[in-house]
Amino acid sequence: MSVTKNIFALILFLAAFAQPGEAQLYQGRKLVEASLFADTTSVVPGKPFRLGLHLKIAPGWHVYWKNPGDSGIATEPGWDLPENFKVGSLQWPLPKRIAEPGNIEVYAYKNETLLVAEVVPPQNLDGESVTFRAKPKWLVCEQICIPGAAELELTLPVSSDAAPSSAALFAKFAAELPSTSPPPFGLAWTRTATGWNLSVTGVEDAGRADFYPYANDTAPIGHTAPVQIAEGAADLAVPVEKSPPISGVVVLENGERRGWIISSEQNISPQAAPAQTAASGLLRYLLLGLIGGFILNLMPCVLPVISLKIFGFMRQAGDSRGQILKHGLAFAAGIFVWFLGLAAVIVALKSAGNEVTWAFQFQNPWFNFAIGAVVFVFALNLFGVFEIVLPGRASQGIAEAGSHGGLTGSFAQGVLATLLATPCTAPFLGTALGFAFSQSALVIFAMFAAVAAGMALPYVLLSAQPGWMKFLPKPGAWMERLKQFMGFPLIATLLWLLYVIGQQRGTDAVIWASAAYLFLGLAAWLYGAFLGPLSHVRAKTLATAGIILSLLLGLGYFAGNLFARAAATLPEKSAAPPRDGMPWVPYSEAELQRLLGEGKSVFLDFTADWCITCKFNMRTAIDTAAVRAAFEKLGIVPMLADWTNSNPEITKKLAQFDRVGVPFYLFYPPGRADDPVVLPELLTEQIVLRTIGVKP
Amino acid sequence: MKSITTFAAVFAATIITALAAPQVGQPAPEFTLTDSNGKSHKLSDFKGKIVVLEWLNHGCPFVVKHYGSGNMQKLQKEYTGKDVVWLSIVSSAPGKQGHMSAADTNKTKEEKGSAATAVLIDEDGTVGKLYDAKVTPELYVVDREGTLIYAGAIDSVKSTDAADIDGAKNYVKQALDEALEGKPVSEGTTTAYGCGIKYAD
Repeated sequence: MSVTKNIFALILFLAAFAQPGEAQLYQGRKLVEASLFADTTSVVPGKPFRLGLHLKIAPGWHVYWKNPGDSGIATEPGWDLPENFKVGSLQWPLPKRIAEPGNIEVYAYKNETLLVAEVVPPQNLDGESVTFRAKPKWLVCEQICIPGAAELELTLPVSSDAAPSSAALFAKFAAELPSTSPPPFGLAWTRTATGWNLSVTGVEDAGRADFYPYANDTAPIGHTAPVQIAEGAADLAVPVEKSPPISGVVVLENGERRGWIISSEQNISPQAAPAQTAASGLLRYLLLGLIGGFILNLMPCVLPVISLKIFGFMRQAGDSRGQILKHGLAFAAGIFVWFLGLAAVIVALKSAGNEVTWAFQFQNPWFNFAIGAVVFVFALNLFGVFEIVLPGRASQGIAEAGSHGGLTGSFAQGVLATLLATPCTAPFLGTALGFAFSQSALVIFAMFAAVAAGMALPYVLLSAQPGWMKFLPKPGAWMERLKQFMGFPLIATLLWLLYVIGQQRGTDAVIWASAAYLFLGLAAWLYGAFLGPLSHVRAKTLATAGIILSLLLGLGYFAGNLFARAAATLPEKSAAPPRDGMPWVPYSEAELQRLLGEGKSVFLDFTADWCITCKFNMRTAIDTAAVRAAFEKLGIVPMLADWTNSNPEITKKLAQFDRVGVPFYLFYPPGRADDPVVLPELLTEQIVLRTIGVKP
Repeated sequence: MKSITTFAAVFAATIITALAAPQVGQPAPEFTLTDSNGKSHKLSDFKGKIVVLEWLNHGCPFVVKHYGSGNMQKLQKEYTGKDVVWLSIVSSAPGKQGHMSAADTNKTKEEKGSAATAVLIDEDGTVGKLYDAKVTPELYVVDREGTLIYAGAIDSVKSTDAADIDGAKNYVKQALDEALEGKPVSEGTTTAYGCGIKYAD
């Protein structure tokens, strides 16, 4: 017996076919025969393939779909794959409705089914063959129900190339697997008194539409009656108490059955053709990114740089036309390099499995310290403490080197401008980035390029059409004064960065960072005063030594030692000190759920100290006498999610709403725990009052 | 044309059933049933006591999971000991799985060590349909004032495997504990799992 079995297995092994199935017997009858199939003749390291669990079911009996319906239980594949093999989620062919007496309806398979999962082998595989095991469990029912189980295995050779296997079987069921892409027709969800209404529009005027919901453990979902399609449309009623968000499979039947996995979060306008849906969605988001990038120029955190840049254009207005365009393009290149660099970092971190979000870099005090240093040195430069002398200057002619340095300067300003813009998630940017972060690397790059293009647009336009700059004042001695004056907005920016550092790591950290900047300033002054072309060699040597000493003291001791330690010793920050009039409750998901569970109404504010837009909204639209009074009167609990420092719980909550940055505002009306209102990112008192239902 | 009529009928039936289904937070529908000893029980007779309704079919693997392991009996003992009335209801039609004569019902009750207050016979399925009960086991809890406070599954792990009982959250236990302490039930509605009730065709 064992010899025959081995030979049999060997034959199957060579044919790279399924091992013999295992049958579930009941009173001498075979009820279910389970077997394991692969769609490949051999395993190629790193190359994904599919495994299929085939169930052959006795006539009259059925096994259950992912959501069994009123009774029964979903089949479990029980994959047991070798180490380092990754298995994707189970793909379920479209089920059938089976009605039983007593208004009992189940979603199930009759005769046979193939449950499919994608398997990704590791890049390196030792050995000549791999054995895949599965211990599937199922419930098979007719009048009565019998649990069944099997222990299956399938051995495939390891090889550098493979041919398709069991192609007919996989193809047959692939046609029955619902698509994960958006359906090529319109979907509109509306809440009704008894649940959801799903309107399907723009479909072929034949056959019928149907919906199979995925199960919800705490809100039983009733049956949708299939509806005949008339005039290209059908309305499907999904009965479910309290109408929580639901998902499931919408099915069109017209001779053949085709399904799409959809959710009630998804509304699709009927005009969009299937292929265009994804592409036009992307285009729309890229356009949003472009507009958002443009608006970044107007956000408060970029204003200092804007004035800096306007000054730059004024100076350039004296240059030749080609020169001005070059400056504009260099500035744009700076913007692009920063955004694409950021995209590269995000893609790298994303692939490393880290949670990364917009403006995440401001959560790191070291980043803030470094930016502060850059801003401070920039300001000293504007004040005239030193001039930037680029290495190329010595060997090249003064004029040429000047323009070269100027271009590098424009490039650097482009980088700086974008660096400072990131904490302001402008209105469109939020949506667009939320979309981009869930996308492939290519889309993230496209998205960031769109934002960069939007931000660079006005500068490139102005430099290409310098005629528009003729309205700007003529260059003169006043420019030097203006240049010096521009240093002050940068110092203001530095103060803001120090404030953020203080919020993150306490007063000590601010003092040590400032001390580090002091020595940085000393070094800059030594450089400007004694390293000019006219200085003596001896002065140069002494100055260089002084610079090195200053940098060692400043960066090495104050930053590297004291600042670093201040960062470590700060006591846990109390999440929401009552610094404003609003009695904020610090956010935690548990507390939020508790409040909502009590039927309370909650206003949830996602903020961070480095987010100026958030601060602006707080002062002008949220923490105002009128809003405070309205909150108190209506019993609305104000809750603050402070994202100043990295907080995975808040990051997760933001992600629930496809957001990757702050500001973000949610209002939970009483009894709508699952369905909060999302407020815009730029608030006015009127918007807040109107949202909570008070006439301003 | 015929198919459209059928859909309309199914649709209407769904709506009517959905409307008729008892709602948690609303009064539990009144019923009268005879138990395996021939004694008649009316739901309103138990006013002032917490009542558990448990749909039962000893042939169903999900019921076997909870009786075979002693889980259901333990629950029955614990809460009937706290003055809770526990009514097991069999809605299987004659000739279908789970249906038994009164004598066999009593015999099985003893064999299984059930501590239910009574096993009620609902062979025409009237009360099962009144409560929109669809599976065995499916459990309902009625509070002292006659309000339905729980409807759904026995616990949170949907399986026929008794080994899953320990790791599962027992919703019925939670509802009863909360009701006994006079607290609102935190999870009043869950999706029941089990075999379809074997109603008459």
